[in-house]
Amino acid sequence: MATETTTVTDIADAAERQRRLELKELLNKKYKWVDWKWDLVFWTTAVFVVAGAADITKQLFAGDWDFWTDWKDPQWWPVVTAFATIIIPSTLQYIQWTAWRFPTGATYTACCLFFAAWVGRYFQWDLAATYPMNFVWPASVVCAGILMDWTLMKTKSFILTSLIGAHVWAIAVWAYNYVPLAAFLQPAHFMDHVVTVADVQGIAYIRSQTPEYLRLIERGALRSFLGETQYVSLAFAGTAAFVGYWIGQFIGRYLAVWPIRRYLKTV
Amino acid sequence: MGKRFVLGSVGVLLVLAAIVANTPNVAAHGEAADEPFLKNMTTAFFNVSVSPTEIEVGEPVKVTGSVKILETWPHTLETPEIASIMPVVPGPVFVLKERFVNGTAAIGSFFAQKGGIYEFEMELVGKEPGDWHVHPGIAVYGTGTLIGPGEWVTVKPSDEPFSFPLTLLSGETIELSTYGGAFAWWWSFAGFVLGVAWILYWTTNKRTVTNLAVTVQLPVNDDAPDIGLITPRDHMWMNVIVGVTLVMLVVGWTYATSNAPVRWPQQTDWFTPEFISSGEKMAEAQASGATYDEASETLEMKVQVTNVIDSDIALTQLTMAMATFVNGPEAEQAKAGPSDFVGRLEVQPDGPIAPGENKELTLTISSSIFSEERLIPTQAPQQFIGAVLRFENGNDGHELVTVRSNVIPTQFRSTYLP
Ligand SMILES: [Cu+2]
Repeated sequence: MATETTTVTDIADAAERQRRLELKELLNKKYKWVDWKWDLVFWTTAVFVVAGAADITKQLFAGDWDFWTDWKDPQWWPVVTAFATIIIPSTLQYIQWTAWRFPTGATYTACCLFFAAWVGRYFQWDLAATYPMNFVWPASVVCAGILMDWTLMKTKSFILTSLIGAHVWAIAVWAYNYVPLAAFLQPAHFMDHVVTVADVQGIAYIRSQTPEYLRLIERGALRSFLGETQYVSLAFAGTAAFVGYWIGQFIGRYLAVWPIRRYLKTV
Repeated sequence: MGKRFVLGSVGVLLVLAAIVANTPNVAAHGEAADEPFLKNMTTAFFNVSVSPTEIEVGEPVKVTGSVKILETWPHTLETPEIASIMPVVPGPVFVLKERFVNGTAAIGSFFAQKGGIYEFEMELVGKEPGDWHVHPGIAVYGTGTLIGPGEWVTVKPSDEPFSFPLTLLSGETIELSTYGGAFAWWWSFAGFVLGVAWILYWTTNKRTVTNLAVTVQLPVNDDAPDIGLITPRDHMWMNVIVGVTLVMLVVGWTYATSNAPVRWPQQTDWFTPEFISSGEKMAEAQASGATYDEASETLEMKVQVTNVIDSDIALTQLTMAMATFVNGPEAEQAKAGPSDFVGRLEVQPDGPIAPGENKELTLTISSSIFSEERLIPTQAPQQFIGAVLRFENGNDGHELVTVRSNVIPTQFRSTYLP
């Protein structure tokens, strides 16, 4: 009896091995009409769609926090930025991983977003509206994208990526953008006050329709956490990014891939 | 091109031309788009001055004046509690260097209330050459930015490029126009390069679209190194890029924090401005009705005034929203504010009101400001206007009295659309 079972398993194993060998062949199969040019067209045309989706999502949820240095505060900025910027990278991670087994979705989206955000800021905000770039530079999430794609490559799991990767994302987005922000947090003399350089920009570069009281920043309420607003905020940012990650997964699964599958089936 | 296309295009153009021709003139900052009650019932700006009106880049312009948050503040708006005074200009064509509200340096917002008078003094410095319409404005939490009278300021180019020196607490002086901008760009760009390296690795070493034929036959968590989807070599190179990313982060962080060792959270300062009185009590005034003639743009308001002090008083000004009307000659009017927002106030019977005397005054104002700024409601749910009357006695005393009146249009126009 025992030998027979082994034989059945062996046959199954051999069949699976055979299937995987065939898949290996399929992976390298030469197609007559589909070659690298298709890949190039795909990757480059998608830039604009992905850049647009990522930029709109960021502006929708993190608008002013991303627009101005004086909104890039310890309490709100890390949370809203992590949440707003993870959504579309998560969607692309789902699409590119399931379709091609590429751990590239987040990095790709981040690069597209980098492009869209800087073009927008430079032409619309700096050249047209005359806000200096050092006041309106956008946060960049490429570094976070690399770390989250790496997490997916290592864990091979969207669930683990959402648990680990989202926290990595939140910390990486903050840490990476804190580097250029640091200089703007230095205290300076202005209008009989000591305020940060970022505050001076916010006061001096007039925003008639964005009065100061609209600024949602740390005003001291979280000081009861032994003054460690930053760390409390980052922990919460990770949770917010986790939620954002699954919103992105939802978009990827049910708004992007599912309708295509349905369409292909009807065809 | 077909005949139909040409005719169609001409038709569309005609319709567009008709729409453009019928669009009323809109003031430079769109304040005419606001409902009348948002202007005349909320605030009154007086003694506004914007000067000089011709400067070079780098030179200052002073914007001074007062705004009163009126007791007639509409119940349909949130009660005013927090406000911020700022210049209303088309973007940062000036930079704001100084701002005082009731004598206190104001970096942010302040606590405000109905009846409060806020005297402001702002110093702007010309940054972009051009002709700019400069208004003071007060933003009130829950309501938005309410705008005062505007003045055209010409900013001419200068030989010196615009500069904005700022002294840090460390004693170092920085150039705020550019400080830290190049670093923000190159730092972000460096990350972008790493990201591009990551993408290029996958897209140049592997095929993309055709992978789908394989991946659809595998479970989603199978990275299939044996098939060749994700190989140990891929892992090795991705580890390298992640390593470089982390090193870059540590190096960048170390540089940034040692370059700026003292860092603060963004600062915030909201204060309660010192109280400014509406003046010594000298008059009791109550409006008993008003009419508005749209054709001649004439407002006529009846006001019952009682002098409650023991010297003569006179009604010298009426301020409605951003406009001030002066009971006096043109020389007096010129002093009352930017010329586009000043007009003449006719008082009947004119002359002093004796101590104890009770008089009915008829105030008449004919001014194109009413229609240009859309100050008077003609068919609104709240057919009211608010205004501030300024009474003066002989010895430099004055009182500001807020009145509120129903206003009735003299001609009712038929309207065919709602
Ligand atoms: Cu204007």
